[in-house]
Amino acid sequence: MTLQKSKVMSVKEAVSQFVSDGDELVIGNYTVGSCADLVYEVVRQGRKGLTLYSQSGIFDIEVLVGAGCAEKLVTTYVLRPAGRRGGSAVERALQDGSMQMEDYTNFQYNARLTAGMHGFSFMQVLEGAMATDLFRKRSFLGDDKYRVIECPYTGKNILTVPAANPDVCIVHVQRCDKFGNAQYWGALGSVAAAALASKRIIVSCEEIVDHDIIQSSPHLTIIPAYRVNAVCEVPWGAHPTEVLGYYNVDQFMYGLFVTMDATADGLKTWMDEWVYGCEDRIAYIDHYVKKFGSRSLENIRCKPYYSAPANYGSAFTTRWDNEGKERAMGLTLTEFEQVLKERGLLYE
Amino acid sequence: MSKPYTLQELLIIAVAREIHDYENVILGVGLPTTAGAMAKALYAPNATLMMESGIIDFEPLLPLNHIADAHSCRGFSYATDLFSAFTMTYRGFVDVCFLGVGQVDKYGNLNTTCIGDYYKPTTRLPGSGGACDFISYAKRTVLTMLGGNFAEKLDYFTSPGYLEGGSSRDDSGLFPQGSGPSMLLSTKGVFRFDPVTKEMYLAQIHPRVKVEDVKKDVPWDLKISPDLSETSHPTDEEIDFIRRFSPAASSGRHLAIELMIANVMKQNK
Repeated sequence: MTLQKSKVMSVKEAVSQFVSDGDELVIGNYTVGSCADLVYEVVRQGRKGLTLYSQSGIFDIEVLVGAGCAEKLVTTYVLRPAGRRGGSAVERALQDGSMQMEDYTNFQYNARLTAGMHGFSFMQVLEGAMATDLFRKRSFLGDDKYRVIECPYTGKNILTVPAANPDVCIVHVQRCDKFGNAQYWGALGSVAAAALASKRIIVSCEEIVDHDIIQSSPHLTIIPAYRVNAVCEVPWGAHPTEVLGYYNVDQFMYGLFVTMDATADGLKTWMDEWVYGCEDRIAYIDHYVKKFGSRSLENIRCKPYYSAPANYGSAFTTRWDNEGKERAMGLTLTEFEQVLKERGLLYE
Repeated sequence: MSKPYTLQELLIIAVAREIHDYENVILGVGLPTTAGAMAKALYAPNATLMMESGIIDFEPLLPLNHIADAHSCRGFSYATDLFSAFTMTYRGFVDVCFLGVGQVDKYGNLNTTCIGDYYKPTTRLPGSGGACDFISYAKRTVLTMLGGNFAEKLDYFTSPGYLEGGSSRDDSGLFPQGSGPSMLLSTKGVFRFDPVTKEMYLAQIHPRVKVEDVKKDVPWDLKISPDLSETSHPTDEEIDFIRRFSPAASSGRHLAIELMIANVMKQNK
């Protein structure tokens, strides 16, 4: 095994090293288990001019856009706090012209990353969207939002989207080893595609586990170590959103965010307290416990419902049996070497 | 006579009855997931419930917070990704999907993107999410409109219903023949689409609502079915299921939030 060095570092170091102003930054998580602490750190470090990609641009995007980090947004879905009555950071940024946004469908957005992940320059998407304003109304991508080509096999018109290869992906997972083998389970969404399409990957996780755990459950690994730049262990790293097997969504805290997010002043007050006011996740959780008690966290901790282990075992793991004989030839190593010598196959 | 029900319960049940046994069903969040859970428990035990996040064949035990909510079930049968959830729809494996509506026109075309100018919206709505691709390729689509409105012309055309009506959807060559919205549920009634003109008409009206109440929300001359029926009273079994599964769905969101805040205040005293 040619395993590399440990990539473990703090969220502060990871963001400072791998996220730059003007980057295309993709949020790896999709609706569930948002990489909240990584998002907050990008805000705390004051990154500017980002082009954000998010499959569902809700909580994470509201925070980044509300903080003024984004110049452009590529997404399929944005938060509508408090239904029709409330505004959102995205709505405010579109209204005051400080941000441009490109709308796709869920599939088209995922297809852009899937193309990028596999090294293709575009991906075919579902042609029905050609009948809609998604196709007709274009923002900063202009003609390159979609292009229509003729299928070389059927002659039919095919709708395509360009590949996306963001500069950096930030993503939160359940567990990871120190080399960066990241394991994630539950709603898979487009998490793997977002990470693998990107040039750099920062993984935060609920816990860092031994490499053996990864080795015995490779079906859970969605990002391989060789692609990962930084591994950050951040318990409660997705709070107030949820992580399957660790904690449920904190409905009270999420509700508080949504309420405050409806106005620019409200969001600023909320960020002053929960993003700028807490230097890292430990400070954030301390502040939370001080304010609301630890019981609200205990109440959302997951009770175990373990996956049945998949047996990765084999009949044997060496060619030599218990008596030291080669399993097919029935010879010991000494006997085998004798044969090699007798046949004149050995050279001094 | 069965027990009294809330309006929200009536709406959920009207939607749940659209799910048939052995169907593959894409659920959207909100009312459809409660309806899906009830259909699975009461009338369609062999339906395969699916969500675009890649959670396939699940049985909801709790009301879902969103379409990637694996905390609301105890495992599920097939974990795939979003990309594959849509390609399975494209290939024709989805019988019915459920979508929420912001704005709808007479041919069932939808806007869930914005009110006002797209580039500088008065109101920015969520966007397409999965809607455009699902209504394009699911065999049929059930629309639910609780907070939205009927419009002569959409502010933004997010998802295709019957386009310009008549055979225009089928003629476009972009969609499977015969696909499209099959019904729209509002807080006042159930609308269906004329088989020939594809224009929406009122097929069913909820109790205590008058046809005039429905017509005043619709900017075109809404046609009324000659066999207009009344949405039937939910059974005790249906009402009990919803109240146990999702009390907040029975009461509606506003009352549920009010009761939750009251409870938090009480505990903090």
